[in-house]
Amino acid sequence: MTSATAFPVAKSRTRAGDALTKAVIYIALAMMLVYLLLPVYWMIKSSFQSNFEIQRIPPLWLPADPTLKPYENAGLLIPMWRYIYNSLFVSAMTAFIASGISCTAAYVLARFRFPGATLILALILITQLVPPITRVFPVYFLIQSFGMLNTYSGLIFAYVGFSVPFAVLLLRGYFQTSCPPELEEAALMDGCTYFSAFWRVILPVSLPGIAAVTIFTFLNAWNDFLWASLLLSSGEMKTIQVGIGEFSTEGGSTEYQNAFMAACVVSTLPALILFFFVQRWLVGGLTAGAVKA
Amino acid sequence: MSSVKIRNLRKSFGSLEVVHGVSLNISDGEFVILVGPSGCGKSTLLRMIAGLENITAGDVIVDDVIINKLPPRERNIAMVFQSYALYPHMTVRRNMAFSLKLAGKDRAEIAEKVAIAAEVLDLEHLLERKPAQLSGGQRQRVAMGRAIVRNPKLFLFDEPLSNLDAKLRVQMRAEIKEMHQRLKTTIIYVTHDQVEAMTMADRIVVMNEGNIEQVGLPMELYYRPQTLFVASFIGSPAMNTVEGKLSANGLFRFSRGAEINFGDASPRSGGDKDVVLGIRPENINTRRQGIPIGEARIRVVEPMGSETLLSTSVHDETFVFLDRDRQEFSVGDTRVLFAEPTDFHFFEKTSGERLA
Repeated sequence: MTSATAFPVAKSRTRAGDALTKAVIYIALAMMLVYLLLPVYWMIKSSFQSNFEIQRIPPLWLPADPTLKPYENAGLLIPMWRYIYNSLFVSAMTAFIASGISCTAAYVLARFRFPGATLILALILITQLVPPITRVFPVYFLIQSFGMLNTYSGLIFAYVGFSVPFAVLLLRGYFQTSCPPELEEAALMDGCTYFSAFWRVILPVSLPGIAAVTIFTFLNAWNDFLWASLLLSSGEMKTIQVGIGEFSTEGGSTEYQNAFMAACVVSTLPALILFFFVQRWLVGGLTAGAVKA
Repeated sequence: MSSVKIRNLRKSFGSLEVVHGVSLNISDGEFVILVGPSGCGKSTLLRMIAGLENITAGDVIVDDVIINKLPPRERNIAMVFQSYALYPHMTVRRNMAFSLKLAGKDRAEIAEKVAIAAEVLDLEHLLERKPAQLSGGQRQRVAMGRAIVRNPKLFLFDEPLSNLDAKLRVQMRAEIKEMHQRLKTTIIYVTHDQVEAMTMADRIVVMNEGNIEQVGLPMELYYRPQTLFVASFIGSPAMNTVEGKLSANGLFRFSRGAEINFGDASPRSGGDKDVVLGIRPENINTRRQGIPIGEARIRVVEPMGSETLLSTSVHDETFVFLDRDRQEFSVGDTRVLFAEPTDFHFFEKTSGERLA
């Protein structure tokens, strides 16, 4: 008799239960996915359809006669590409400036002990507790008094101000947890100043964290409607969000539905492309091997 | 190569003083190990020498120059960290060349120095790898390579082996010792592992609660510990210690009443004195050599191959002893333990100081 036949094989009593739980989870996730992706799908497919097709009942789930005409029309009906340029410029500058300020500030707050550090942190935290709407008048009048209404710099100034506190808190945590102080100390021993240790060692190692902050600030600026409509609302200076918002009341939701959807698709592309390029930094893993875990 | 003098060094974090006026002289080319339990201030002392911690009071003098105010980069001191602290975004080659590049050395010189260090540490085939692609031992060697390419005045090691497994630790211990013999650079090495200290150091500095307990040669510390702390800390397995009273005529009395008569071999106590008696496990025998300690009941037997470690109970006190005679022992057996009178250590109970 072999040992394989000598012993009974134990059967799991919970296996059927586990399968059921898994099934329930997958069904719930699938439903959630449909809920999230359906509007996106509807937007994309509508941007390749004629208005007649879009409004057909029962609805057509695939374009019967796909066309790029809506994209062409969108560019003719509104200065879509100019709006996109405006949004891109404002968002990119905001992301660049806010990331620069916040990573240096966060590094100092994460690494150095100095009088007032806790107070500064508390003040930064408090800014996050104030509802954004309460800042409308002060910020508007501040930008106006600087003569920066309807300028890129005015909106960038406001966006940077809104993004930096959260970015500082996020990056400070990142420096504290993912960027061991020994790295900086090793750099100091190797001949670095504090700044060169930051520049040559800490910054490259912190790229995942900085990338996260950059995307966050970029997307915040890109998606904003409120501040852009207040501070940059005249003529061709509008951002794509404000431009699309106005387009929706100027026929976008009625006779130019397909052009409106095309503009919406175009407005989501830059953020999507940015995410595609920086996502490898977000995955992390760059600090692996730096110190023994 | 450099000599180091530490003069009355103090370190406080707020109102809490963690290093209380430590003084120490380290000769040119010496391998000194600071050893002590966690939180004893040894790493803080090392970091003050490195310039990574501000000095509250006292001086660090390297080659007769006070370097208290110099930033780390101007001290020409290399440090190997416990966590290796390799730059993860750089290859091994760039990690090792980093300090030379910062010092403005030309490419040919950098390449030559890195190549020499890589050869010494057997890293040549790993030069293009990144730290994440290395094993623990390889990372440790890269950290050492990064230190030696600079040809510094002084090497500081902060528990460099504590993240390695036991086998690799033994191997790296030998490598560090060999490196010191070859380079003859002054080394200050911090560890909490007394075996590392005993096996590698020219001199050991035992620290406890921010003070130096004893400085001496490894064997000196082992055979003549000046305090009860050093006696208990140095040696593995640790020294057996028993509290009791020592009379003027050399009679040691256990708290439960049993006695050991040391006669003239005991220090002069000048009347009944509260003492702590110490005896190392390897100095105890069952061969009737020396004076009897008492009848021991064996509680735990731990065979280790070449020797057997036995935990026993003698007069309600725990005595651990090492048997190297390959005797058979079973739990519950009783044996009379003996030891040479000269192998016993006596410490004053309240101060912990050695009685001569």
